[in-house]
Amino acid sequence: MAIYIASFGFGLVTASVLAISAIGFTMQFGITDVLNLSFGGVMITSAYIAYVVNSAGINIWIGLVAAGFAGAIISYLINRFVLTPFKRRNTSLVGMVIVTLALGLILENLVLAVAGPDNVSYTLNNGPTLSIGAFELTALQVGMIVLSLVLAGAIHALLTLTRLGKAMRATACNPGLARASGIRTERVISTTWLVTGALCGISGATFAINSASFGPTSADLFLVVIIAAVFVGGVGQPYGAMLGAVLLGIVTEVSAAIITPDYKEVIAFIILLVVMAVRPQGLIARARA
Amino acid sequence: MSSGTIFYITTLIVYGGVDVVACLGLSLQFGTAGITNFGFIIYQAAGAYTAAVLSMPRDTANGGFQSYVLGLHLPFPIPWIGAAVAGGLLAVPAGLVVRRSLRPDFAGVSMLVTAVVLNTVVDNFVPLFNGAAGIALVPSPLSNVFNPQSLKWQWMYSGIAIFVCVLVFLGLRLITESPYGRSLRAMREDETAAKAIGKNTDGLRITILVVGGAIAGLSGGILVGFINLWAPSAWTYPETIVLIAALIVGGRGNNFGAILGALLVPLGFLEATRFIPPFGPPGLVPALEWIVTGTLILVFLWFRPQGVVPERRRRLSKRLPAAAGPSAPGSGVVGVSRGQ
Repeated sequence: MAIYIASFGFGLVTASVLAISAIGFTMQFGITDVLNLSFGGVMITSAYIAYVVNSAGINIWIGLVAAGFAGAIISYLINRFVLTPFKRRNTSLVGMVIVTLALGLILENLVLAVAGPDNVSYTLNNGPTLSIGAFELTALQVGMIVLSLVLAGAIHALLTLTRLGKAMRATACNPGLARASGIRTERVISTTWLVTGALCGISGATFAINSASFGPTSADLFLVVIIAAVFVGGVGQPYGAMLGAVLLGIVTEVSAAIITPDYKEVIAFIILLVVMAVRPQGLIARARA
Repeated sequence: MSSGTIFYITTLIVYGGVDVVACLGLSLQFGTAGITNFGFIIYQAAGAYTAAVLSMPRDTANGGFQSYVLGLHLPFPIPWIGAAVAGGLLAVPAGLVVRRSLRPDFAGVSMLVTAVVLNTVVDNFVPLFNGAAGIALVPSPLSNVFNPQSLKWQWMYSGIAIFVCVLVFLGLRLITESPYGRSLRAMREDETAAKAIGKNTDGLRITILVVGGAIAGLSGGILVGFINLWAPSAWTYPETIVLIAALIVGGRGNNFGAILGALLVPLGFLEATRFIPPFGPPGLVPALEWIVTGTLILVFLWFRPQGVVPERRRRLSKRLPAAAGPSAPGSGVVGVSRGQ
């Protein structure tokens, strides 16, 4: 029994990593209409930026901030110099996915070329362990959960309380109408890439903290879980992504304790298939007028 | 020519044949029918594994150092037929899922996710195909005719590879140059319109997924008989991107473009790097190859999206010279749409 309680703890940590990335992924898709498969590549590139910072003897939380900046800048540049030009040419939806797929491949292999194929890990201070019975988490893990909650709260505040958030929701709902109402959708989309890129970068670093070690292609499998969480929650829905992340994070970690950790992604995939069969629009569906 | 050179040339022919067959299959799906299959490589993998376990003896052979299912030790060409059947069968569930999907990019990504997950399953589930280590010592087909180590066998195998290429090419011409092919292109251009004139697009899609899957399976069967081993690292998801890159470079929607792309990208480009002296730390050259492959996709999509060999524009007037005028008898709407 103890192992299941412990795995529930791991599940909470994984869920918090997953939530940050899934919110980023789903907002990117919802607002910009690009299914960005280079997300994993940006994550791992940012994780390596945090590694460079961390290797210089700087605390990982500062590294996390660096990863957030890196993710934001890379995502902004990808949108500005690759995706927007292709979109202006009316590239098909599938064409855009191929473009992001190629970008992800380029990013991952740039990391591979620069950093080499060996796995690396951060120098971490796990802090004191907090335990309630068999349920135990390190201070670092608690920090990651808190970070995820804070970021989710910040995104909620951004979307509901600010003019920018309102503009983002309008753009996601109907870009043509948003533009006709005087919203500068191009600027909203650029800002979205900055915000979601920052989430992507931060999630890359937290993913790397949560893995014992990581390499240039480590995020490939995690991207499958992110996509599963996004689609389970309802694609384009930030709150759905949070729900999907919590569900998949906990279920995959508990299943790892029951079966073996080798099939985490397979479990995520099966949950995705079941949800798609029962409720194809996802748990939280977009209300359409 | 030295025997080394001949060995190299025949190896190139076989690799080129495998790539051409695979690209033709993907071209049918992606180029002609407009089905985005980002998981195409799993069908090649299914064919390779099936051909392997059909031709190999029981896994207790060779001291039982590897474990796999079946092991029926069947003679050529049964393993290759099995490879094509396996590729086709694996496409059936995909066909049933994709028909429900609305957006083409979702369908493509669902295939990609499936490919990644299947690779993980085979990688970890050892009893199936020996897990991450993969299966080795797959028998070479027709080893009773020539010694597989000999140059004669090499020539024979490259001859068979070319023969299969020609066969697949001619078979696909029957599909793409027929009214059926026209239905496929109609589905690609505008699925709603194709449905409106009575085309069963769900049926077309699943058929093309199965036919393309079978062709991919066959290519896997040819490959595994030549290299004698197969492992999950041989069919990771970027391998599909290489084939897609080949189609984008060669030209989508026509078989000559697919063949040219297969010869230019997987074969020409990746073979050319063989002659660059290795430099830098291990893994640098493959990483640079992937970077160039990705860049090639972006550059071609931007500067020449139609590829080196663009799809021929099909005109009705060329097919119907006599009935071109509006006054010609029998050239009503029905006559034109049925006229050949």
